[in-house]
Amino acid sequence: MNEVSLWTGFWPFTPERFAIWVGAILTLCIYSFLYRDNPFYKFAEHLLVGVSAGYWALIYWNANIVGQLLVPVLRGGVLLPLVPGVLGLLMFTRFFPRFAWISRYAIAFYVGGYAGLAIPSYMQARVLAQVHAAMAPTVSITAALLLIGLICSLLYFFFSREHKGVLGGASRIGIWFLMVGFGASFGYTVMARVSLLIGRMQFLFRDWLGLIR
Amino acid sequence: MSVHSSISIIVMLIASLAAGIDIGGSAAGAPLQPGEEPLGESAFLEAFIATRPPGPATSVVAHDVPGDGGRQIAISWTRSRDDGAGDDDVVGYDILRSTQPGRGYLLIDEVPPGVESYVDTTATDGTTYYYIVRAKDDMQTVDSEPSGPAASRANWFRTRRLNMFIILVLFFSFVLTYIAQARRGKELFVRRIPGLTAVEEAIGRATEMGKPVLYVPGIGEIDNIMTVASLSILTHVAKITARYESPLLVPTARAVVMSAAEEVVKEAYLSVGKPDAYNPDNIRYLSDAQFAFAAAVNGIMLRERPAANLYMGAFWAESLLLAETGFEAGAIQVAGTAMVSQLPFFITACDYTLIGEELYAASAYLSREPKLLGSLKGSDLGKAFVMVAIIVGVIMETAVAFGVAPLTAIADIFRNFFYVAGQ
Amino acid sequence: MNGRGEMKQKRTWQEHLQALDRRIIYLLIALAVVIPFFFPLGLPTNVTEPVRQVFDYVETLPPGSVVLISFDFGPSTMPEMYPMVRAVLRHCFVRDLVVIGVANHPDGTALGRIAMSEVAADYGKVNQEDYVYLGYMAGASAVMLAIGRDLHGVYPRDYGGVPIGEIELLEEVHTYNDIDLVVSIAATALAEFWVLYANTPYRQQVALGVTAVQALNFYPYLDTGQAIGLLGGMKGASEYEKLVNDLEEELGIAEARRRALPEAQLRALERRFREASIGMDSQSIVHAAIIAFIVLGNAAFFTLRRRRRAEELAESARGKGTD
Repeated sequence: MNEVSLWTGFWPFTPERFAIWVGAILTLCIYSFLYRDNPFYKFAEHLLVGVSAGYWALIYWNANIVGQLLVPVLRGGVLLPLVPGVLGLLMFTRFFPRFAWISRYAIAFYVGGYAGLAIPSYMQARVLAQVHAAMAPTVSITAALLLIGLICSLLYFFFSREHKGVLGGASRIGIWFLMVGFGASFGYTVMARVSLLIGRMQFLFRDWLGLIR
Repeated sequence: MSVHSSISIIVMLIASLAAGIDIGGSAAGAPLQPGEEPLGESAFLEAFIATRPPGPATSVVAHDVPGDGGRQIAISWTRSRDDGAGDDDVVGYDILRSTQPGRGYLLIDEVPPGVESYVDTTATDGTTYYYIVRAKDDMQTVDSEPSGPAASRANWFRTRRLNMFIILVLFFSFVLTYIAQARRGKELFVRRIPGLTAVEEAIGRATEMGKPVLYVPGIGEIDNIMTVASLSILTHVAKITARYESPLLVPTARAVVMSAAEEVVKEAYLSVGKPDAYNPDNIRYLSDAQFAFAAAVNGIMLRERPAANLYMGAFWAESLLLAETGFEAGAIQVAGTAMVSQLPFFITACDYTLIGEELYAASAYLSREPKLLGSLKGSDLGKAFVMVAIIVGVIMETAVAFGVAPLTAIADIFRNFFYVAGQ
Repeated sequence: MNGRGEMKQKRTWQEHLQALDRRIIYLLIALAVVIPFFFPLGLPTNVTEPVRQVFDYVETLPPGSVVLISFDFGPSTMPEMYPMVRAVLRHCFVRDLVVIGVANHPDGTALGRIAMSEVAADYGKVNQEDYVYLGYMAGASAVMLAIGRDLHGVYPRDYGGVPIGEIELLEEVHTYNDIDLVVSIAATALAEFWVLYANTPYRQQVALGVTAVQALNFYPYLDTGQAIGLLGGMKGASEYEKLVNDLEEELGIAEARRRALPEAQLRALERRFREASIGMDSQSIVHAAIIAFIVLGNAAFFTLRRRRRAEELAESARGKGTD
C-alpha cells in the first residue's frame, strides 16, 4: 500500500501481488451470492468470520490484557488494574451454573459505571445542547419549519394521550417530517452502499486486472 | 544584575545615538513625504522607552478553581502600568511556577498583553505552588512579586453543571415516581400502538391460510434493550398463535436469546392452556454471524413460506435482506426497531413499522411491566418538559427579536439554564 | 393473473418490469459503476458548507498546531473512509501541522498506520518528528475522557513501542488544551463519542468524517457547534479532495510535483489524490440509474394497479348484469 500501487503485471509473483489475488478471489466468492447461495460464498464468509475473530482476539489481548493489566501490574508494580482484572475473571463463572450468579457483580459494575458515564453525557449533548440551540428567534420560514418539525415529531412519540384531535393532527405532521428524514437517510445509504461497490470494482479492475491505469 | 544593567545602558546609549542621527537627518530639511511623521524629540523618547524596563504586574493572586475536578489553579494580576497605558510597550506576560517560594520558577505558559488572568490546568492536586507573572517588552522583562501559596483540589460538585444535576434529578424522579405508581397497581394510561393491530391482523391472516408465523427478535444480544422489548412482544404474539394453533417460528442469532425465547414462548402457550401446541424445534439458533443468519432466515422464508413475518428488535444491515425476501415471498410484514439507520428499509419493505420508541411503548403496553411502563411514562413527561421549554424559549426569543426589550433578561436566564458548561 | 386458464396473454412492458429478475438490475448497476472507469466524465465537484467548514478551520491553524485524527473504521467501509483520511492528512501535512493518530476501533489499528505512513511518505514527513501514531486503546469513551486529563497516561507508548515520554513531539501535548482539532473518521458510533466525551466536557473542537449511512444523524451537532464540520461518505471525501487539490495548485505544490516526479509515479499519485472524485463519476451514473428505476417501477406499479382496479370494477359490473 505504501508504494505506488501501479499494476505491474502478474509476474513476478510478489507477496503484494499474492495478497491482491487472495483479495480478488475472495471478493468474487462473496459476489457470487448475487447469483445464488453457493459453497464459494460460504467458504469466503466463514473465512471472514474466522479471520476477524482471530484479529480482534489478538488486538484485545495486546491492548487490554497485556497493555492494561500485565505490563502495569508485573512491570510497573501498579496494583489498581487488578480490581478490573478480577472482575473480568468473575465473568468466567458463567461456565458453572452453580456459580453463575457471581458474574452479575462484574456486569453490575460495568453497567453502573457505563450508565454513569453515558447518561449525563447523552443528556447534555443530545438534549440540553439541542434544546438550548432550538431556543432561537423564529423569524424565518426555515426556523419555523424546524420548530414545527421538532415539536410535531416529539408529539408523535408521546404515548400518554390518544392521538385524536389536535394531537392527532400534529402527530400526523410529525410522521411526515420523520418520513422525509427517512427518505434522506435512504438516499444516503444508497450512496454508501454504491461507494463500497465502487471501491471493490476499482480494486478488481485496477489493482487486480490492471485494466485501468 | 550588574551585567544586565550595564548592557541596557549601552543599548540605551546606542539607541539614543541612532535617534540623534535621525533627528539630524530630518532636521537637515529633506521635505517630508505625505504620511511621514516629523521625527523629533518623540523618536528619542521612543528609543528611550524601548530600553526602559516595563512596570511589573502587581497584586498577583493564585487560588484553587472552585467547583471543578481538580488540577486547576486560577491566577490573576493587575497588569503592568506600561500595558495599554504609560509607555504602552508590553508585549505579553510569562507565567512562571515553582513549588518553593523564591526559587526554582519554571515557565509554564505565555499570555498576550491586556490579559489579567490565567488558569493553570497542569497542577498536581495537593501540591503547593507559587506563581510569578513576568511582564515583557521587546527588550526586557520584569518579574512580579510571587503569589501566595495555592494548591488545587477536586471538589465534590461541579457547580457550573448544577443545571445538569437538577434536570437529571427531575427526569429520574419522573421515572421512579411512575414506576412506584405502577407497582402499587395504579392504572397508567398508554395509548394503543396501531402497529399492534397490524401484528394481530397479520397473525390472523397466516392462520386463515394455514401457514406459519415468523418472528425474528433481531440480532442484538440479550442485554440490548431492543431485544428485551422484543421478547415481551413475543409473549403477546405467542399467546395469539397458541390460541389459533398456528406454528410460530423464532430464528435467533444469539444462544442466550434463543433460550430466553424458548422460555417466553413456552410460558405463553402454557398461559393460554395449550402446552401441547408448543413445539421447541420451532425456536432455533442459526448463527452468530450477521449475514449467515440473514441467509438462513431467508432460506426459512422461501422453504416454509410463512404468511406473516414479524421483525422486532435490534437490526443492522441484514434488515433490508430480510424484509426484501419477505416482500418477494408475499408475506404480510410488520417490523419494529429503534435503529434509526435501518428504519427506512423496514418502512419501504414492510406493511407496518413501529418507529423507534414505539417498539418500547408496544412492549410496555402489552406487558404492563411496572419498570417498562414507568420508564415510558417518565420519558413522556420528560418529552413534555422539553417541548414546553422549547416553545416558551422560542416565544421569548422571538419577542426579544421583535423588540420586546423587557424580556431580554428573563429570556437569557431561561435559555442559559439549558446551557451545557464544560469542565 | 387474469388470463389464467385462457390463452397466454401478451405481457405489457409494465408487467415485464414488475417481473424483472433482480440479477439484471445488479448487472445494470455494475455496468453503471464500471463504465466511467474507462470513460471518465469528470463531473464538477460542488463543495458543501459542512465540508468547507472543516477545511476553513484547518486553514486557520498556524504551523505546528496539533491535530488528532482518530481512525474509527474498518476495511469494510474503506472506499468511503480512506479517501477522507488521505485528504485530511494531506491538508495537515501541507500546512505543517503536527498529526497524532489514534484508533478507537480495533479494525482501525492497522489502517491508521498504513494511512499515516503512506501520506507521510508522499509529503516527506517523518514518524515522531512530524507525526505520531499511538495505535489502539480499548474503552473508547473512557479513553476520550482520560485524554482530557493526560494523553500520556492513556497511551504509555506509541504504536511502535516507543515510550511516550521519549517522543519529543508530544512533550508539550498533554490535554485537549494542547490539541487544536480532533478529526474522527468513523464508520461507527465513535464519531458521536467524540462529541459526547471530548466536545461536551472539554470543549474540544471536533470535526467528523462519517459514512453516508450515518451522515444524517450528525447534522444536529453542526447547528449547535458541537462539531465544527462534517464529511459525509464518498461525496464528502471528494469535496475535501477537491479543496486540498485546489490548495496545492494555489501553493505551487502540484506544479513542483509535476516537474519533479517521473510520469508513471506522478500519474499514480494524482489518481490516488482524486480517488473519491473518480468514484463520484460512477456514483452519479448509478444514482441516475436508480432514479430511473424508481420512476419506471412506480409508473408500472400505479398503471398496473389502476388497470387491475378497472378490471375488477368491470368484472363486478358484469357480475351484476348476469344476476
